[in-house]
Amino acid sequence: MKDKMPPLSRRKFLKTSLAAAAISTGAGSPLVKSLVPRAHASGGRPQAPISSHFTVCDMCFNRCGMIARVQNGVITKIDPNPGFLKSRGMLCARGNAATKHIYDPDRLKYPLRRTGKRGEGKWERISWDEALDYTAEKLLEIGEKYTRCGVMFIPGSDMQSQFVNRFAEVFGSFNITSHETLCLLSKNRAYLDTLGEVPYPDVYYSKYIIIAGANPFEAIITPDTMDFFEARKNGCKIIVLDPRFTKTAALADEWYQIKPGTDMAFFLALCHVIVKEELFEAEGCCPIRTYGFDEFFLHIQKYTPEWAEKECGIPAEDIIRIAREITAAAPAAMVYPGRRTSDYEDSTQIRRAMAITNALLNNFDKPGGLLAIREVGVKTPYYDVPWYDDNPFDRVEAGMVPGLIDHEGSFQLMRDAIISGEPYPIKGWFNFKTNFMQTAANRNKTLEMIDHLEFIVNIDIAMTDTAWYSDVVLPGASFLERKDPVSALQGSSACACAVMRDPVVPEMFESRSPFWICQQLAKRMGLGDSFDFTLDEYRKQQVDGLDGALEAMKMMGVYYNPSRTYDIYAGSPLKTLTGVKEIYNQRYARAGVDPMPVYKRPKQPSENEFRLVVGRTAFFTHSNTNNELLTEFMEENTLNMHPEPAARMGLKDGDLVEVKSRAGQGRLRLELTQGIEKQTVYMATGFGALSPGMSLVHNKGASISEVLEDYYDEISGNMAMHETLVTVRKVA
Amino acid sequence: MKKKYCMVIDSSVCIDCKACMVSCKVQHNVPRGRWRNWIKHTEPDFSMGKHTFVHFQPGGCMQCDEPSCVYACPSGATFKDEETGIVHVNEDLCIGCGNCITACPYGARYRHPVKRVPDKCDFCSDRLSRGLLPACVDTCPTKARTFGDMNDPDSDVSRLLRDRETVRVVSKPVDTKPNMFYLAETMPADWPGSVEYPAAHQAMTGFVNPLVKIAVGISGLGVAAMFLKQLFTGDETSGNDKEEV
Repeated sequence: MKDKMPPLSRRKFLKTSLAAAAISTGAGSPLVKSLVPRAHASGGRPQAPISSHFTVCDMCFNRCGMIARVQNGVITKIDPNPGFLKSRGMLCARGNAATKHIYDPDRLKYPLRRTGKRGEGKWERISWDEALDYTAEKLLEIGEKYTRCGVMFIPGSDMQSQFVNRFAEVFGSFNITSHETLCLLSKNRAYLDTLGEVPYPDVYYSKYIIIAGANPFEAIITPDTMDFFEARKNGCKIIVLDPRFTKTAALADEWYQIKPGTDMAFFLALCHVIVKEELFEAEGCCPIRTYGFDEFFLHIQKYTPEWAEKECGIPAEDIIRIAREITAAAPAAMVYPGRRTSDYEDSTQIRRAMAITNALLNNFDKPGGLLAIREVGVKTPYYDVPWYDDNPFDRVEAGMVPGLIDHEGSFQLMRDAIISGEPYPIKGWFNFKTNFMQTAANRNKTLEMIDHLEFIVNIDIAMTDTAWYSDVVLPGASFLERKDPVSALQGSSACACAVMRDPVVPEMFESRSPFWICQQLAKRMGLGDSFDFTLDEYRKQQVDGLDGALEAMKMMGVYYNPSRTYDIYAGSPLKTLTGVKEIYNQRYARAGVDPMPVYKRPKQPSENEFRLVVGRTAFFTHSNTNNELLTEFMEENTLNMHPEPAARMGLKDGDLVEVKSRAGQGRLRLELTQGIEKQTVYMATGFGALSPGMSLVHNKGASISEVLEDYYDEISGNMAMHETLVTVRKVA
Repeated sequence: MKKKYCMVIDSSVCIDCKACMVSCKVQHNVPRGRWRNWIKHTEPDFSMGKHTFVHFQPGGCMQCDEPSCVYACPSGATFKDEETGIVHVNEDLCIGCGNCITACPYGARYRHPVKRVPDKCDFCSDRLSRGLLPACVDTCPTKARTFGDMNDPDSDVSRLLRDRETVRVVSKPVDTKPNMFYLAETMPADWPGSVEYPAAHQAMTGFVNPLVKIAVGISGLGVAAMFLKQLFTGDETSGNDKEEV
């Protein structure tokens, strides 16, 4: 893939140079012009025809519509699908870099089996038959020895993940967990427990938005990122709270450098003002359409703006003003729910405070507020899940936290359970396209977990750090080579839509789709009936009742369901226990959890310590960072630090430093910026890979997973990545 | 009718996401370390407290009406297409002197490390001929870049130029008359360098240049003759020949 241009033959060269000379009117040479007939002049350089194919991006989770341009059987360019409403007809840097995702020299080409120790990097090439036979045999063996729940399944966040899920369920394991348990579960928990569902922010029509704990201009989320700018053209005001001067902060109307971990103080004080000044709408909202408003009234008394100012560093008069401004704009106003909320041990409670603020704004199910889930109409085809008598009653981490989300669980708690062997042993790991070695806090603990496992099989397109420690590595097909089932998407108020993928080019090397792999494994394990269908049959079942859906997806790359956008509830009860918005949560009270968010001051770094926060840029996605077109913007990650503490410690910009926590240490270059709170340091995800198979990020910078200590949200079990305090020293 | 393509940029919505840069890089196989377009930015002044900001400014070749690169080119390889207003490089006529690169005050050209000729934005002429927008415009998430024909009064760019106040980022002291317009205001505006013509430029433009152009024309005659000859001699050797660069 170094050079896609075919070598020019001499004759072709002459021909093209002549033709090019002829059209170059600026050459200003009448001799050349008159010598060459017009017909030649219009020819230009000969090119193979270009064909265009609709597909859907997979460089992150957003699923933006794209058109792949193919020339001579090679995808040479990827453009946005202009008719794709969810992504507002755009494609970000990562989507554009998908050409180097498929044509990546680091791609796995054939099945591999480990021959040395784990992590030693000794592999043998095996055939697919051998790989599948061996994997099936190992999985059955573990099922036999430790019950079917003895295998942990990580199905990924992919359009084919549903097949891995189905495979896990028919195999008989409850222990399915996901990347999301490192991401947004605490936010989901908070909104489920306040509104009864996880809403979509209607940014486009909003007039006032507070963004806290989110960085949507860098962590692009469609359509929100684009909609912020459309909203702003219509007068929307954007307030950003962030210890870092992110690009979101840089483009906000107001940016407050909040002390990390104190967002709840701000929101409780905001509620205090809203309640005290009776800025909420009494008729449509409080106290009639909420549960526990009176308790909240008492609860909120002590959280004055003056108190909050001391905690979070935002002036009381600003808090009061913002409360007045946002309620004046309500219900077309919101606290932006954000996405990755894996930050603090009370991250669910922090998001509860935000969700309650939204409840006071009375913005649910209304334009410019938070939207209820719209109907897309894509179905999940039914399948039988066999019963295994010897299986335990529940998933391994059940009951370890009060608010574990079904079907998601908590990777972190599962990892602890695997290490302890309690309540029952897990000895196998089936992994698809998830790289916990690079993304999950405390890599040493993940390595310890791996030591307790007898068998690890991994499907991925490159040798990720997680694959590097696996026993069998199966080369997955990239999303551009696959035929995928239908996926339902909601793009806020822009659309409720369905998408699918057909192969743009054939599978390269010996790569195969997870569907094919699960089908083959199921056949070998006596579960063939569960996968006895083709993808066309499966799709037909999925869109049953949606007239023209398949045709629309083929013709336009997307099917839109013109379902209702606003006022979906139309007066009927919400999906909460009480049927109204729950400011006070009864189930929390029963489980011994604070029924309303109670502020606890985050632990403070001592004089020589810093709080480590992590995040990403608009051109990286965690372990998809290993991409030639993207690393050009940043070849390794750096540690951001304020110049003041750096000067105190004698550190200079560009110094190689060691960041150390109780979990481990990493080395990377220092980058000084005033755009960070003085006792906070920041690094981006996606670097410092252990695996040489991630050649662009191998030993480049540091991995967040080697430095972060493992904390978790005490309600949802979501990972808590901003609790780690580190020391920084210069490496001589 | 002749077209005059231009770009109108609302830099206030640029989020510095780099989509335009990657899209361009893929479309034109731009080598690592080189770019046909860019996003510039201001430095934040943190003494502004909650109002601290950064302004991002996307850019690329401005397809100037008085292109210093064209004036600096001794061989006629760099030219402004009268039909479209786009400044092109005819690689086959380029002698690789590099004058155009130093003559551009905007740094819009780079020397291709393999081909040894200058490379620059051509508003994706190839895409335009296929009915597609330039790669950077097509992909931009916040649609900061608007592209179109200024001579068409109904085009988006004409509408924006008519309805909105625009500014240009112009080199000093020479106004090259760029065809890239920024809505209302943009920052930073002080980045263009100076126009640097080679010492012998006066002589080149005054006397030598026309001679070179005639010489090139005559060599074109030779090329045409060779072409005709090849047409008649058949192509038994073509296909196996390696490109000679």
